[in-house]
Amino acid sequence: MPKITINGQTIEVAAGTSVIQAAVKLNIPIAHYCWHEGLSVAGACRMCMVEIEKVPKLQIACNTPVTDGMIVHTDTEKVKDAVKWALDFHLINHPLDCPICDQAGECKLQDYYMNYGLYTPEMGERKVKKAKAVSLGDRVVLDQERCILCSRCVRFTAEVSKTNELGIFNRGDRSVIGTFENRPLNNKYSVNTVDICPVGALTSKDFRFKQRVWFLKDFDTLCNGCSAGCNVVVSYNQNGVFRSRPRVNHDVNGYWMCDEGREFYRYTNKEFRLEQVVERNSELGGAAVRGKPVALAVQEIAGQLKNHVAQNPDGVAIVLTAQYTVEEYDALIGALTQMKIKNFFHWKNNEETFDEFDGLLLRGDKNPNTAGLVKVLKKYGVGGSWKDFEAGAKAKKFKAALVAGPENQSVYPDLAKRVEAVSQCGEVIWLTSCKNDLFNGFKWQVPMKSFIEKEGTFVNHKGMEQKIKAGLKIIPNAVSLKEFAVGIKESAGVAP
Amino acid sequence: MSVVKRPSGKSKWYLPGILTGLSITIKHMFFNLLHRKDMFTIEYPEERYPYGDRFKGNHVLTVKKDGSLRCTACMLCATYCPAECISITAAEHDDPTVEKYPISYEIDILRCVFCGLCEEACPVDAIRMGPEHQTAALAGSNFVYDINRLAYRPVLKGGVLSRVDDEDRHKRGI
Repeated sequence: MPKITINGQTIEVAAGTSVIQAAVKLNIPIAHYCWHEGLSVAGACRMCMVEIEKVPKLQIACNTPVTDGMIVHTDTEKVKDAVKWALDFHLINHPLDCPICDQAGECKLQDYYMNYGLYTPEMGERKVKKAKAVSLGDRVVLDQERCILCSRCVRFTAEVSKTNELGIFNRGDRSVIGTFENRPLNNKYSVNTVDICPVGALTSKDFRFKQRVWFLKDFDTLCNGCSAGCNVVVSYNQNGVFRSRPRVNHDVNGYWMCDEGREFYRYTNKEFRLEQVVERNSELGGAAVRGKPVALAVQEIAGQLKNHVAQNPDGVAIVLTAQYTVEEYDALIGALTQMKIKNFFHWKNNEETFDEFDGLLLRGDKNPNTAGLVKVLKKYGVGGSWKDFEAGAKAKKFKAALVAGPENQSVYPDLAKRVEAVSQCGEVIWLTSCKNDLFNGFKWQVPMKSFIEKEGTFVNHKGMEQKIKAGLKIIPNAVSLKEFAVGIKESAGVAP
Repeated sequence: MSVVKRPSGKSKWYLPGILTGLSITIKHMFFNLLHRKDMFTIEYPEERYPYGDRFKGNHVLTVKKDGSLRCTACMLCATYCPAECISITAAEHDDPTVEKYPISYEIDILRCVFCGLCEEACPVDAIRMGPEHQTAALAGSNFVYDINRLAYRPVLKGGVLSRVDDEDRHKRGI
């Protein structure tokens, strides 16, 4: 194992490791555009110049393998000068339209100009004009002028998504990134090219011009779009959540996430959410009563459930979707089994595609916590399938049903059909974070917290437990399933 | 212990003091009647005091040659604003050379401290501090100025032309 010393810090690395990888391990910053940990080495940008002792010229750190006893300096005047002039050449044809560029604030050109550049440009030539705002596909927009041709996006489509939509066309300063005729950039992972673009050349249509990035704060969480359990970071401010991007986790998602998962942040925003308890009051002829305090509603629900159980313990059905955390299931099932309810059903959506896998990240199971729910159901020795529930509901067996509905309704294409089956039960208590007109007929609708507002554990498809933390507060009235269960437990002990 | 100063006999002779004061006032009155142009006061609101060009009054959003807003919705003014009184909503423009433009630009004039930092931050001369300073209104909502008020109010006679021109910049290869 070769030993390398960078700026006086020594580290032993595996043979074949490049200098820049060793520097990353030591947390030593080296300027770079084209090198990305998840992609192959291109050596195109010439920004990662380092000085290696006993080597006459500066070398690029990304393509120089570590040899034993190598001594590297990254902070000498010679290195800084080389980086500065490399940056100057990158910026020759760059339009400098930072005011209208979405990348401004997280742009590596800006960062390195402040760290290494700070020169006065001396180019007398006119800038080469190229096309702006070119739509590459359904989700990505290209600005050819801003591109510095680092080829990260091209390598991404070649190596990771393996769809090869992008290429570099023409020569010299007229080189542009582009797609081939009739082959737009429409793969399932296309927005990753926006994340890895170090400048503002590729921008996401979804996020474009919505917010300036310096108005946003980041919050680490998990994607709740499928059972892969990708680590993501969502960006938010007082106006809501605006985007979700992948966070590096080599055990789960590596550096990437799918385009589908990027869109689920929006269901945590106010415009999609159920904000208040909605009760159908039979005394008022079925009119909807809104705004009852959640604590009071939970007490009433507990009382009603208790009455139903007293009449017939078999007449109460609990239907659970796998979109909540392990702690929540544990609390809810624990509280309800104490009330002698034993009809628990696991609602699986599109069960036939559960084992599908596209080879990179996307799983057919569109729930973040199927494994967790199965585990908790097993612990309490309960659990039937949706078919059991449907048969029972059709036979008018259930006088009451408590449904922990899906948080992310867009992955439940047959929701309307299932809601119809549920409405055959007498009194329905529907717990949901998103509003939907389908639920209007139900006795109770209780607002639930979304995955970024509560803490807990998701178990992904390989049985790996991952924690989510409570971060934002978007709907003040919402409760988590755990809080709901605690309320039920407390009031069931008291209620007559 | 409080010390009370007894009025001395001399201060009882207040009459000379009053007469001196009155004489000064009357002198000024006759002087002003004879030299009305040199008077310091003006008859507001019929007469108004001319402010300097650098006076920082109500904002003006400038326009391009075709009359559309110069603002590119970069939000540097909103970022720089210490009173946080500017709120902008950006959108994608159909014309790819324009790209980004504001669909709403609002200034809460009651929050504004008229510091002029927005004018300083603007990279395209889209916002200026104008000469107007009378901002009376009857309802609170009238103090949130929108694009119509900021760029096209009647006083501006169709809008103030910005000094930064895109075509000119393109020609110069910037």
